[in-house]
Amino acid sequence: MAEPIWLYQAGAAAASVVGFAWLSLAMDAHWHQVHGGTTPARAVRATLRALGTASLLASALLCFAADRPSMAVLVWLMLLAGSAPLIALTLAFRPRLLRAAWPWGDRIARGR
Amino acid sequence: MFQSFRHSMTWLHTWFGLTLGYVLMVCFFFGSLSVFDREIDRWALPDTRFPAQPAPSFDQVLKPIYAKLKPHPVDLAATRARVIGELPDPATLPMSSLYYYTTHRDPVLAIGAEFDVPNKPRDAADEHQHVHGWATLDPRTGAFLSEGQLKLGSEFFYPMHYSLHLNWQNLGYWVVGLAALVMLAALVSGVVLHKKIFREFFTFRPWKRTQRSSLDLHNLSGIAGLPFHFFFAFTGLVIFASIYLPLAETLLAPLHKQHEAMEAARTGLAHEAAGVPAPLASVDAMVAEAKRRWAARNMPGEVGYLYINHLGDKNGYVSIFRAGNDQVALVGQGVHFEASSGRVIREDPPPSAVMSVNEFLTGLHLQHFRHWLLRWLYVLGGLLGCVCIATGFIFFVEKRKAQHAKRGSMGSRAVDALAVAAVTGMVIAAVAMLAANRALPADLAGKGGWEEKVFWGAWLLSFIHAAARSGPVAQGRINPAWREQCWALAALAVAAVVLNWIGTGDHLVKTLFTSTYWPVAGLDLSLLAAAAIAVFAGRKLARHERHARPSTHAAPNISEALHG
Repeated sequence: MAEPIWLYQAGAAAASVVGFAWLSLAMDAHWHQVHGGTTPARAVRATLRALGTASLLASALLCFAADRPSMAVLVWLMLLAGSAPLIALTLAFRPRLLRAAWPWGDRIARGR
Repeated sequence: MFQSFRHSMTWLHTWFGLTLGYVLMVCFFFGSLSVFDREIDRWALPDTRFPAQPAPSFDQVLKPIYAKLKPHPVDLAATRARVIGELPDPATLPMSSLYYYTTHRDPVLAIGAEFDVPNKPRDAADEHQHVHGWATLDPRTGAFLSEGQLKLGSEFFYPMHYSLHLNWQNLGYWVVGLAALVMLAALVSGVVLHKKIFREFFTFRPWKRTQRSSLDLHNLSGIAGLPFHFFFAFTGLVIFASIYLPLAETLLAPLHKQHEAMEAARTGLAHEAAGVPAPLASVDAMVAEAKRRWAARNMPGEVGYLYINHLGDKNGYVSIFRAGNDQVALVGQGVHFEASSGRVIREDPPPSAVMSVNEFLTGLHLQHFRHWLLRWLYVLGGLLGCVCIATGFIFFVEKRKAQHAKRGSMGSRAVDALAVAAVTGMVIAAVAMLAANRALPADLAGKGGWEEKVFWGAWLLSFIHAAARSGPVAQGRINPAWREQCWALAALAVAAVVLNWIGTGDHLVKTLFTSTYWPVAGLDLSLLAAAAIAVFAGRKLARHERHARPSTHAAPNISEALHG
């Protein structure tokens, strides 16, 4: 019984981190930090935004699966509060790590 | 007065933040420590390092212990000042009510009682005069914890975050309440100021000059933690609403009294004693019945709070509340029994909408639930608040110190020295207190008092040091006290871990692997993490100072020189 709850919580945390990674890549300045001197194509940007939003929602759903609603709301908001600075710090110190969230930056740039 | 709304918001944000930011820093940092107050207690009192226990049998274990509980000398002295005539021998005072309180994180049990006094009060409005007694005991043996030992977490760090230990006239509560109110204003004005809130959501540029990067971090920590900051300031005010607006004791006192009487009539829980003696039925049987009823409602659980009123009287009743391990509300699902017979008088109905909101808001802040992930996230939220305030100070100083240096003003020097004391100094004081706790012998008389002296002494020293070293700020450079206090903090944190190891034999290999004890392991690891961060910050600052030094002779504009 205890194990799935732990898994849900880990999943919720991961989804909120990845969600913010995608949302940050949809911004020109951060895409530039991660993928070098390019900007994302319009379709890519829309995809990243949609993925990011969906991932944050998935994080919320996983929180609600793990805990009763009154508690889940708190966990979700606090996961968001933790994930956003984590992405900002990654962008500041190790931006290349975020290529893992969207590895196709260079190829699209070259294709244009 | 101001050219625009944004100008007025800037003014409000800057000056309110600067004046009350120091208080908020204390609230956020010690609030973060309070999340693990019980664990800090275990670390500070090695005698209490055993697993959490449910409350023991009342009939077998606790009843004889309550018989030994006496009015506390501190409260006796306070009561003596409020009544006419000399108090009778405290040993003869009859106990009129008692309670115990425990959570899933408490190996020890907190108990307390009220004793009736026959004296008339000096102030006629002071109706109920009681003397209180309280103690903490080891529920396995029934032994009281020795007096004079301070529970550092729950008795010092925890009250620090809402009262600042300024108890005269409740001054600390008022200062903190004002700071919380100001913080709500600072949050709103901060959002108004921050034009590109979404465009700069992930922006942190440590390579830019200090003024810019500290503002980045200020915005980032402020926005990411916004719901947390807002709700903690707001719920903190809700919790102490009755202190700030004591309506029930002042304007609405007659109505409040009438409400109490009507409530007693409605619930069957007598407001006054009958004056007819009666025995106490088995409390263990009542606890068993309460647990059965919780399980029947699909909410099985342990007792969190037990309260017996009108002890030994025909109107006596026993109220048993479930510990809120799995809910946001603190305790709940009360079941009330007639003390003399053990008959159920009443089972609390599900709370009304208003009560649920209140329970949710207070429980959200006080967080006695069992949810380790959320507890750590709360620590993170609190530390984000500290980062937000500290970077606000740094931004203030960075923005002005070059101008102040030109004008010869001392303003940024003073703000900077206070900021050092509020950031590194505060952490140094807390860690020094932990180190002192392990260095001082356990049987030292008044040990808790010495620990408090170390805390305030260390903090004062840090401020004096920061002020004494603030000369470079007047020339537009960095105060070397920042770096020096980082080193001091790192050394103290490592010393605290080592002293704990030497004094108790509980080193990390043991508390993590061979006989796992998370409360102690967690605090040791947190101290080491603090030391690592302090070393990291100290090295960064040293590099900054080296870069800054040569250019100061040539370039008057230090902010650019720092990164040039």
